[in-house]
Amino acid sequence: MPMATTIVTRSRTRETVLRLSAYLTIFVALVLTLFPVYWIAANSFKFDIDIFAVPPEWVPRNPTLKHYDEAFIQRPFLRYALNSFLVAVGTTTISVIFGTMAGYALARFSYPWQWRKQISFWILSTRMMPPIVSIIPLYLFFNYFDMLNTKSALIIAYTAFNLPFATWMMKSYFQDLPVELEEAAIVDGDTRWGAFLHVALPLARPGLAATAIFCLIISWNEFLLSLIITLTEQSQTLPIGIAGRVTQYSTYWGEISAAGFMACVPIVIFAFMVQKHLVRGLSLGAVKG
Amino acid sequence: MLKSDKGTSAAPLRLGSGLERWAERHLRYLMLAPTVLILLALTIFPSIYMFYAAVHRISPNPDLPWEFIGIGNFARLLSDGQFQVALRNTAIFTIVAVTIEFLLGLGLAMLLDKYIRRLTFLKTVLMIPMMLPPIAVAITWKLIYEPQFGVLNEIMFRLGLPLQAWAGDVNLAMFSIIVADVWQWTPFIFLLMLAGLASLPVEPYEAAALDGASSWRQFWDLTIPFLKPVIAIALLLRVMDALRLFDLVFILTGGGPADRTKVLSLYIYQVAYRFADPGYAAAISLFVLFVTIVLSTWFMKRMRLAE
Repeated sequence: MPMATTIVTRSRTRETVLRLSAYLTIFVALVLTLFPVYWIAANSFKFDIDIFAVPPEWVPRNPTLKHYDEAFIQRPFLRYALNSFLVAVGTTTISVIFGTMAGYALARFSYPWQWRKQISFWILSTRMMPPIVSIIPLYLFFNYFDMLNTKSALIIAYTAFNLPFATWMMKSYFQDLPVELEEAAIVDGDTRWGAFLHVALPLARPGLAATAIFCLIISWNEFLLSLIITLTEQSQTLPIGIAGRVTQYSTYWGEISAAGFMACVPIVIFAFMVQKHLVRGLSLGAVKG
Repeated sequence: MLKSDKGTSAAPLRLGSGLERWAERHLRYLMLAPTVLILLALTIFPSIYMFYAAVHRISPNPDLPWEFIGIGNFARLLSDGQFQVALRNTAIFTIVAVTIEFLLGLGLAMLLDKYIRRLTFLKTVLMIPMMLPPIAVAITWKLIYEPQFGVLNEIMFRLGLPLQAWAGDVNLAMFSIIVADVWQWTPFIFLLMLAGLASLPVEPYEAAALDGASSWRQFWDLTIPFLKPVIAIALLLRVMDALRLFDLVFILTGGGPADRTKVLSLYIYQVAYRFADPGYAAAISLFVLFVTIVLSTWFMKRMRLAE
């Protein structure tokens, strides 16, 4: 809180206490945040017998890559990861291309009868739709067209949830760009489309990158739609593969820890790539970050 | 907004064919069309189809025709004890989890804002949980809650407290789900609140301090009103997410024990795929959709988010 002026009236000890408690809180928050991530990583490097050790082995004493071999070489987790990747890239490509055009159209043009507001609101509201709600018709639809267990079906379903996001995110970016440069391009003889393509789009490059990374993350993490649409190894994604190794009778801890940790690694890298855009992305562009 | 909206098509001389000129004139619609059409196909069509399914009895046997039963499936909702349990569980989860996340996130942001405003790296580290795949989060917490060799019971043991079954305990299962959700999503509220705090104007606080207003008064009379739009967005997005909770429950408890964590998404999933009754599942889905639309519309209209 900006309270620079009140500090004067405050005693120095109180300021020190505040500072120390803040640092202590940061420390505790960091431990609580990072411990679960560390724990899944640590367990992925333990032999089964050490995973079950009581008291728990805080640091793996006998580190091993056994579970990575099990998951990614002997079992099809590499296939699942590749499926996740392909679906994420497909979804992101479609969502970013169409979302950027729609976002631009909503940011720059006017429409009769307040359509701009109505359409923006409607697009946002489709984002609010719970996936479980659209799952039954999507399932019947893909079943009818014989598309169950295909990556295309996943891409179509994921696009329904990523496109509204990409549209709002890009709309927010274009609204922040000055319109004068595009006007100048048009005065110089460029077309309206040309002004978008040659002037606005290059300026929005950071926004495009952030939007793309967010779409990749959302698709990579998705579980429910994939659970319904895919049943075969050839089409299942990483989260489904992991969930499949948690059964009623036994849980393959080492294997799912290895696969789970590997599912987290690219996300953490992406998170650091978009750190500047985190706020805007996660609040649908409504809050400037 | 371009002032020259209407004139743009006349200005350029390069426009060749009539088609190009037509495309240029209707650019605003052409750019919007793919998104609108895709979303229409992927949201409006399923909704209509679902309404159609909801008024039929659909046999698991695909050779049998759908039997029209009018509002029969909706009437079932009223007497379905499982549905009411799921509704109550979803309500409990949403209210408790979002409240804790909000209070914790806002509190942490208020306390830490001054100290970590410039520490982007540290902030990003604190944000990691919310980016992770919910399935990975779920198995991580499953490992922590494990009654025999889990970390949590080790801590309980060292503190001299009774060991618990956590996600497997009738009274603690919902609490366990909430803790995992709070772990994953408090950073989200924290992040949004930090962004809100960073954009607060300084002058009103200086004036308030000169008037001798306590920090408590400043918090209620200045900070909260200024943060209201950010708080609204944060709560809206969290509530919408909480209503669709699925992954954590699917892995951690499967809805049990004794249906204590059976939430609406999971119940719909079970009705549709385990009890093979898609007509009834469609009716429940429509109910969830209705609640979601009413809640989010009310919220967005009230907070004027759509502008």
